[in-house]
Amino acid sequence: MKRSSDPSSGQKPDHASLQQAAEWYARLSADPHDEAVGAAWRRWHGQSAAHRQAWQYVERVSRRFAALQGEGDTAARTLRAARRTDTSRRQALRTLGVLSGSALLGWLGWRATPLPQLLMAWQADYRTATGEVRDFVLADGTHLWLNGATALDADYRPERRRLRLFAGEVLIETAAETRPFVVDTAQGRLRALGTRFSVTQQDGFTRMAVFEGAVEVRAADSGATRIVEAGQQLRFDRRTIGAGEPATAARQAWTRGILVAGDIPLAEFVEELSRHHHGYLGVAPEVAGLRVMGTYPLHDSEQVLAMLESALPIRIQRPLPWWTSIDARQ
Amino acid sequence: MSTLDTTYRQQVALYYAEHHGWIRAWLYRKLGNACDSADLAHEVFLRLLLKPHRFDSDSHAQAYLRSMSRNVCVDFWRRRQVEQAWLEVLAGRPEAVAPSEEHRALVLEALQQVHAMLSRLPEKVAEAFLLAQLEGLGYKAIGERLGVSERTVTKYMAQAMYQCLLLEAELDEALV
Repeated sequence: MKRSSDPSSGQKPDHASLQQAAEWYARLSADPHDEAVGAAWRRWHGQSAAHRQAWQYVERVSRRFAALQGEGDTAARTLRAARRTDTSRRQALRTLGVLSGSALLGWLGWRATPLPQLLMAWQADYRTATGEVRDFVLADGTHLWLNGATALDADYRPERRRLRLFAGEVLIETAAETRPFVVDTAQGRLRALGTRFSVTQQDGFTRMAVFEGAVEVRAADSGATRIVEAGQQLRFDRRTIGAGEPATAARQAWTRGILVAGDIPLAEFVEELSRHHHGYLGVAPEVAGLRVMGTYPLHDSEQVLAMLESALPIRIQRPLPWWTSIDARQ
Repeated sequence: MSTLDTTYRQQVALYYAEHHGWIRAWLYRKLGNACDSADLAHEVFLRLLLKPHRFDSDSHAQAYLRSMSRNVCVDFWRRRQVEQAWLEVLAGRPEAVAPSEEHRALVLEALQQVHAMLSRLPEKVAEAFLLAQLEGLGYKAIGERLGVSERTVTKYMAQAMYQCLLLEAELDEALV
């Protein structure tokens, strides 16, 4: 665990420098004899301490590989075999009820979540793995239910209570208190004026539903605000707040381990299901609009897929262990 | 680790007294092995010492420690799995040579680190990185192997290295 050749003299390189270092590495190894690239790299390297520090990380990674270069092909073969069993290992861990943060990270990665957000999710105070629903009670008695693949931070101060939702969905039952209670997402801020509401961080927008009391929504960029009353739901992005529509009780059903679909498009249903499914889950555009109705068991996404397959003109395909696609049945 | 302040250490000692019992029992249920679960239970507190964390309530502490126990458990399984794969590959070689203990430890550690890096990458990206780093193939040859353009290989390499760098940075953070 000792790092004698530690590049970080107290300060760590920023993400931009790391990204540039990775790009330089890729260009340099394309043709190590390309003098023009080499000269350009030296200029970059000389530009700042952050660049040099980032480059030392590149060297460190290379050294890890160098330790294996004397092993002939056994190293490469071992790593390939270990990768192949990774999926079955995940399966085994899942049956044991052990799911790691790295599983969550992997899941998020497949959805191409922006990296900073991904890193924050990785370090979040409260998080659930794919397929896991858990509840927490915070210090003030506020009750949180986290849907699958959810990550959030709780930041309680003497003057306010604040949650930051990085990914996934949370149902919140706030404890009555004088301190304000807010939830921040990538698109804006929600201020609880009542007790029970849910917030979902999706790709590019936030969805929210109020079941009791009221919640004030504020879009981050435009500053547009709206008060959403109990029984209403809507979505918003950084600029605009969408029209309110009646909230369905189904939006809370996952806390009881069931997924209720009340005549919704297949694409929307699958988005919900993917929070409980390991690996990528995609829907072909031809079948995305098919309507889905019914009550499904959340803990068993494979069974849900089988149920869908028997009810709709679709075909479930698994070209890779962690890749599932839903296509039209021929 | 001289930067660790004594109050934090005392705090961890309190957490240890409070939580060690159930963590060990929990790990034992997952692993079915008293020796390993005792080791891993200590690992949980070692990590807590290395990466200071304060909790605003007991349920918060418990939730955090439970997720750490899971991570420790997963890491343990991953190490086992890499070791298993390596032994199988070695057993399948015609000139079966038993590596020395020291060499074995070194190679295993490197394999585990590299495996952890690669496990974050999509299949083709990981394969491209392996071919370049371990088999010394050029981008043209890698492109032919994977059925993609050289340009794409360059992109794969940058992507792979960036993920590895992030992991290195995370490791540093965990050890600071």
